[in-house]
Amino acid sequence: MTTVTRTGHAVAVENVWKLFPVGDDVVRALVDIGFTAAYGEFVALMGPSGSGKSTLLHLLGGLDRPTKGTIAVNGAPTGGLTESQFATLRHSAIGFIFQSYNLIPFLSAVENVELPLMFEPVDRRSVRTRATELLELVGLGHRLHHRPARMSGGEQQRTAIARALIGSPVVVLADEPTANLDHRTGESVIALLEDLCARLGVTVIASTHDPAVAEHATRVLRMSDGRITEEVTHVRS
Amino acid sequence: MRPALAYGLLAARRRARSLVLPAATVATGAFLLVMVVVLMPAVRVQGAAFGRAADIGRAAVVISVLVLLVGALEVAITATRSIVARTREIGVLSGFGVPPRSIVVGLLVEPVATAAAGGLAGAVLGAAAAVTGSAAGLIAAAPAPGPVVSAVSAAFGVSLVAAALASAPPAVRAARRPPLVSLTG
Repeated sequence: MTTVTRTGHAVAVENVWKLFPVGDDVVRALVDIGFTAAYGEFVALMGPSGSGKSTLLHLLGGLDRPTKGTIAVNGAPTGGLTESQFATLRHSAIGFIFQSYNLIPFLSAVENVELPLMFEPVDRRSVRTRATELLELVGLGHRLHHRPARMSGGEQQRTAIARALIGSPVVVLADEPTANLDHRTGESVIALLEDLCARLGVTVIASTHDPAVAEHATRVLRMSDGRITEEVTHVRS
Repeated sequence: MRPALAYGLLAARRRARSLVLPAATVATGAFLLVMVVVLMPAVRVQGAAFGRAADIGRAAVVISVLVLLVGALEVAITATRSIVARTREIGVLSGFGVPPRSIVVGLLVEPVATAAAGGLAGAVLGAAAAVTGSAAGLIAAAPAPGPVVSAVSAAFGVSLVAAALASAPPAVRAARRPPLVSLTG
């Protein structure tokens, strides 16, 4: 487990383009995207399917590379990083929350939370303590040893949130975090993400169709056809 | 490397039910190989009675080696299937920045452990059956300890090496795949 020093913006995106060749054509998935996100900010990427939200999240997390432009995470430009260096950056500074949770079916909730640190020579007991604390933080202290098949969608998503936090990331990237949840469970997940930003100073960037997520975000970036068409900042009292 | 091995062992333990069939196939191959090697002197004696001692001995060895190879192939097929089934898990691990080498080690533990368990169980059972058969007077020649130990070691070793060699390429391919491909594939 490595501690990351916070420098500059949590995320800085400048003139980013992503083009996909499809046959003889080129699909412009992202067109000249630029924005910054401060530490502790909750940014919602809103827009219809195909507007480029997920592609942008993939680029921010290094799961894919931009065709053009620069992306910096925690003040460090990522353009020149090798796959292995980006993997190290992901490991130390970025947490993912996937739409379909992607929990490992044969691991219990607490083991799933420990997963990103399971391959490191760290003290197992301290990792277990931290994973337990995180599950308690997301309200699952009573489900530590349950496997995903025995948990509800909301519980699985909360476990995925705890897993994203185990490496003490600077940025958490959430792909449609409420898409598979009922309204009430979705609300509680949003409140949890909002709380993470406020209490832990984690920057959350979430793609969403859900207006409720946007209401809780400190900033909303509306996307359409691969462009940011509107930026709304919410001032919190 | 130890954490990756520990993860692989945990996965193999939790997924043990799906590994019973390939382990049993490897065990059958190892059992037959040990039986053939241990019983070879007796087979030669019986074969001599038919005047074809060498031919019968060779045929028995070929059959047992084929059975063992089929067992190893079964482990390899199971490993490939298991890696395909674990594609998302591999994507999640890559997504969280786990190095490919650690993922490969974690994935290889399962087929190798399956082959080790199956190979050892089959070889030991084969040796026990040969010794028991000899004690009961069912086998003409008593098996010597040297060939028994050699046969058990060979059956165990061949199972282990075949499983490791057959499982390594799909594991390496899966670990090197971009995480996005594994997550969306």
